[in-house]
Amino acid sequence: MDSSLGAAARALSQGDPLHALKHVALRDDALALALRGIAMAQLGELSSAHALLRRAEKAFDLGESVARARCLLARAEVALARRDLNEAGRGLGAARELLAARGDHENALLAALLEVRRSTLLGNVEAAQAALSSLSFDGAPARLLTLAALASADLAMKRLDGVAARTALDAAGQAATESRIPQLLAEVERLATRLRSPAARLVRAGRESALFIHELLPYRNPRELVVDACRREVRWRQQAVSLVRRPVLLELAVALTERASHEATRAELVERVFGVRRINDSHRVRLRVEVGRLRHVLLGLAEVRATKLGYLLVPVASQEVSLLLPPTDGQASALLALLHGGETWATSSLADALGKSQRAVQRALGDLEREGVVQAVGKGRARRWVAAVAPTSSVALLLVPPGTL
Amino acid sequence: MTTRSKPQSRPAEILREYGPFPDVAQIGGVTYDGELAWAAAGTHLIAFEPVTGKSVRQLPVASDAGTAFDGRHLYQLSGASINKVDPTTGEIVSSIPAPGQGRDSGLTWAEGKLWVGQYLDRKIHCIDPKDGRILKTLESDRFVTGVTWSNGELWHATWENDESDIRHIDPETAAVLERVELPAGVGVSGLESNGAGIFFCGGGRSGKVRAVRKP
Repeated sequence: MDSSLGAAARALSQGDPLHALKHVALRDDALALALRGIAMAQLGELSSAHALLRRAEKAFDLGESVARARCLLARAEVALARRDLNEAGRGLGAARELLAARGDHENALLAALLEVRRSTLLGNVEAAQAALSSLSFDGAPARLLTLAALASADLAMKRLDGVAARTALDAAGQAATESRIPQLLAEVERLATRLRSPAARLVRAGRESALFIHELLPYRNPRELVVDACRREVRWRQQAVSLVRRPVLLELAVALTERASHEATRAELVERVFGVRRINDSHRVRLRVEVGRLRHVLLGLAEVRATKLGYLLVPVASQEVSLLLPPTDGQASALLALLHGGETWATSSLADALGKSQRAVQRALGDLEREGVVQAVGKGRARRWVAAVAPTSSVALLLVPPGTL
Repeated sequence: MTTRSKPQSRPAEILREYGPFPDVAQIGGVTYDGELAWAAAGTHLIAFEPVTGKSVRQLPVASDAGTAFDGRHLYQLSGASINKVDPTTGEIVSSIPAPGQGRDSGLTWAEGKLWVGQYLDRKIHCIDPKDGRILKTLESDRFVTGVTWSNGELWHATWENDESDIRHIDPETAAVLERVELPAGVGVSGLESNGAGIFFCGGGRSGKVRAVRKP
């Protein structure tokens, strides 16, 4: 409401958070704190952003309930980006009701979209979908239409519904263009790239082909045995055996199902699993032990038989096995395949899952982070990795064009 | 020099609403040049015809708070400065520091001086337009937004705790002489009199400018 606040808001709407901070860095009145928080969020400093927005929320007078509610939305958005889902939910429903009651329908709608995003991140995909479908977007500004369409596309991709995802992305693209907000356009492009890139490689009967997201659905509850090296599990019908914590067993299953014969020699298996070229007796023994473990976890799904040459995988109730591999070789692809599940992962857990050293995983994550494909939340031992979601696009939008004022 | 309890309070009569205008999310200052009403819209100043409501001009001038007009030039608060602007070209011809160093809100010109509201500090300063030197300070008991002079009377708007009003105050003592209260949910961010019984009121986040009858 004063000149510095206006200048800071103007800078934020122009995507210049450093300039915004210059105007309000030293102020601790509620509005200035809120704008400082948003600037920090735009700079990617989510921890500081969260702290500033909490201070701002407390600094508003009791009578400034609308401004405080809007500020709460910004804090919730930052909490979602940090994957602090408890914190994100705090007060969100009440803020939404207050904003609707006071006639700020735009921000009430944004609050609803934040609730949808929170449900999605919690894995309550159906609840999120239902909530999203119940919202009305009459007269909503382009940027909110974009966010809604992006949420819809994201949920469709989780359902592996390629057609719905495409439709939603087209709508998101149109709305993003109308909004002229670069972060939104970038997010649409990112999802579009994911949609038109192969999601996995299928190896079946010795033949390899690319699978796109919309082609993955039949492999969820498959009628044939599926070894899924992306999600790191083995599935048949409703049964799923997770091998996330058993990278050696997964590697064995992959090696066995890569060939049309479903058979592999002891030497091949030892090289794959233990990384050695010249096999000796102790390797053979260790291999037998691991095969025994694999047999145990695959009970009811497949048998692993010893043969003259090595071992053979025989599905219990189908002829063929489908092997799903990450779209490209290499750690990056495998890491992404895990992170696309939506959960947060510590570096150590990722290393365990892939059977690689933490150092190697850290390096790969560093590369992916630089590409903007993954992001880290938290620090030190509490640091977790997630697939990147445009964290600040709506934070930048929330308080700036409409203003907290 | 603080205000006492207020006499004569009446509800605002909103005669007309202008806008919201395309690409304008928020209105700060408002002023009137005799023909067009000007409003501060963040990244630019817009001008519209009060009779038709049509938006006719735009100047790409950073416009963060109050706007004033001295008969020839516009004055616009931006950051911690008051910029003097040529309305035909949009060029900033000179600049003085704002007395509140960025805490400034309303702006108006009267009799060779500039009057500047200071929002959170609940003050109004009278300053020398040549160098920004503070000549006098009046105090209010609410956050001060718009400021205007109308036929020899000093009026200013307040907006605090989601409540907003327009006050006629004594320019010597700052005592509140009359009040016009805006309805719930409506606030005044900028203020200018058209000299003929109308206040143009900036509507903040609503993106509107409202014409309110001067009592």
